[in-house]
Amino acid sequence: MLFSKRPRTDEFEAVAMPHMNDIYRTAARLLGNGAGADDVVQDVYMQAWKSFDQFELGTNCRAWLFKILFHTLNHYRRKWMNFRMIKESDEILEQTPAGSPPSPEHITDEEMMAALAEVPQDFRAVVLLIDVEEFSYKEAAGILNVPIGTVMSRLSRGRKALREKLAGLAESYGIGRTHEEGKSA
Amino acid sequence: MNRIQFGEGGCEKTRKYLDSYISNELMVETNHEVLRHLESCQPCAAELDARTRLRTRLKAAVNAQSVPPELQVRIRANIRSRGSESLGWLPGGWPRWAGAMAATVVVCAGLWVNYSTERMPEVSDRPGQKVYITRIAANLAAILKVGLGDHIHCSIFRKYPKDAPPIEKMQAELGPAYQGLLPVVRAAAPEGYRVIMAHQCSYAGRKFIHLTFERNGSLLSLVVARKEDGESLAGLSPAAEPSGIPLYQSAAGHYQVAGFEAGNFIAYVVSDLRDKANLQIAANLAPGVREFLMKTPA
Repeated sequence: MLFSKRPRTDEFEAVAMPHMNDIYRTAARLLGNGAGADDVVQDVYMQAWKSFDQFELGTNCRAWLFKILFHTLNHYRRKWMNFRMIKESDEILEQTPAGSPPSPEHITDEEMMAALAEVPQDFRAVVLLIDVEEFSYKEAAGILNVPIGTVMSRLSRGRKALREKLAGLAESYGIGRTHEEGKSA
Repeated sequence: MNRIQFGEGGCEKTRKYLDSYISNELMVETNHEVLRHLESCQPCAAELDARTRLRTRLKAAVNAQSVPPELQVRIRANIRSRGSESLGWLPGGWPRWAGAMAATVVVCAGLWVNYSTERMPEVSDRPGQKVYITRIAANLAAILKVGLGDHIHCSIFRKYPKDAPPIEKMQAELGPAYQGLLPVVRAAAPEGYRVIMAHQCSYAGRKFIHLTFERNGSLLSLVVARKEDGESLAGLSPAAEPSGIPLYQSAAGHYQVAGFEAGNFIAYVVSDLRDKANLQIAANLAPGVREFLMKTPA
C-alpha cells in the first residue's frame, strides 16, 4: 500500500527531543550567548529531521545530534568568521599566567561560565564534550571528525586553560592556593 | 594507549596521565599504576581531588542552564508541521519519478498547510502571533477558541525564567481566591509534568486563571475563564463523561483543546499531545478542579 507507513515524527521526537537541553547548553557555551544558540539549535533539529531517514534506530542518537551540531557550528563559523583557530589558541594559552584555581566549591556558576568562555573555542568544545557531556574520547573524535590524539591534546590543554583562568580569578579575589603541587613522591 | 611502568619520576608520569585517568580512558594496567602512585603520594592525590571536583563543578554550572521552553515548542511545532513532507512512508520498489511526483505533491500541500495554519512566528513577532492564533483556531468552536488563544498567547510565546518560580510566588500570583487551585492541580497533574507557571492573565479582553506544565519541552495548560453572556459547552458533543462531568474536545492544528464546565467557569486543558492523552489528563484534572471552582464565589 502506498500510504502504509506514517511519517517518522513520533520516532524522531522520542529519540531526539530528550537531548535538546544538552545540545542547547553546548551551543550556548560555544557561542557565548543564548540568542545565537536558539538559531543553531533550531537549525540542528531541522537538519536532523531532514536526515532522519539516514539515522538507524538503536544507534547513538545523542552523538549523531552532536555531530550535526558541530557541522552547523562550522557553518556558522564560516559565516561569522569570529571563531579562534588552533594557532590563536596556542598564543592565548602562552599569554595565560600560571597559578592554582580556587576551591571549586567557592566558584559561582557565573564565574565558572566566565572562565570557560575565555578558554579557546576548539579546546572548550572538547572539554564540554568529555567533562560535561561525558562522551568517550572515541565518540568525541567521531563528533569532531579529528583523531583521538587531537581530542586528548585539546582536552588536556582545555582543562589546563580553565584552571589557569580560574586561578587568575582567585588571585583577583585574593584567594590563596588550596593545595601544594609538583612534589615528587 | 600504552601500558606504562611507574618508577622514578612517578609524579611527572602520573600528572601526564591524570587527564585520561579522570576521563576513565586508561588501560587497566596503567590505571593500576596511577592508583598505586596516588595511594602513596599526597600531592598527586590532592591534585586529582582538585581536578575531579573542578570537573564536577563545571558540569553543574553548565547544566544549570536549560533550553527555553518556547524554543522547544517552536522546534516541535516546526517538525510536526513538516512531518507531512517526509517521504518515510514511500514504500521500497517505487521508481524515483514516483518519489519525485509524490514529493512535489506533498511539498506543495505542506507549504499550503504551513503558510495557512501551522507556521510558527518568532517570539518577538507579536502581530504574527495574533495571525497564527486566528488561523490555527479557524475551524474550532468559538467557545473552545477562548482556552486555545490564552494557551498559545501566554504559554507558547511567553518568555519564562530559567527556573520555575517558587510555589509561594505562584500562589501569590494566583491571588487569595485561586491559590488553593495549585495544590489541587498538582495532585492530579500527569506524571513527569512540573508546574512552570501559575498566575492570572488576560488575552483578547478576557481574564484567565492559567497554570502551565512542562515535560521534555511539551507544554500543557489548564486555563480557567469565567463564563460570559450565557456561554456553555453544552452545544457541542461530549467526547467523554468520566465522573459524570462531560468533557468536550477538538483539535486545532497540532493542539488538542478539551473543556469542561464548573459552575460559573469553563476550564480548558490544552496541549500538543495526542487526542487521547490530552482527554485523559482533562479527565484526571476535572473532578478536583470542578469541585474547587464550584466553591469559588461568583
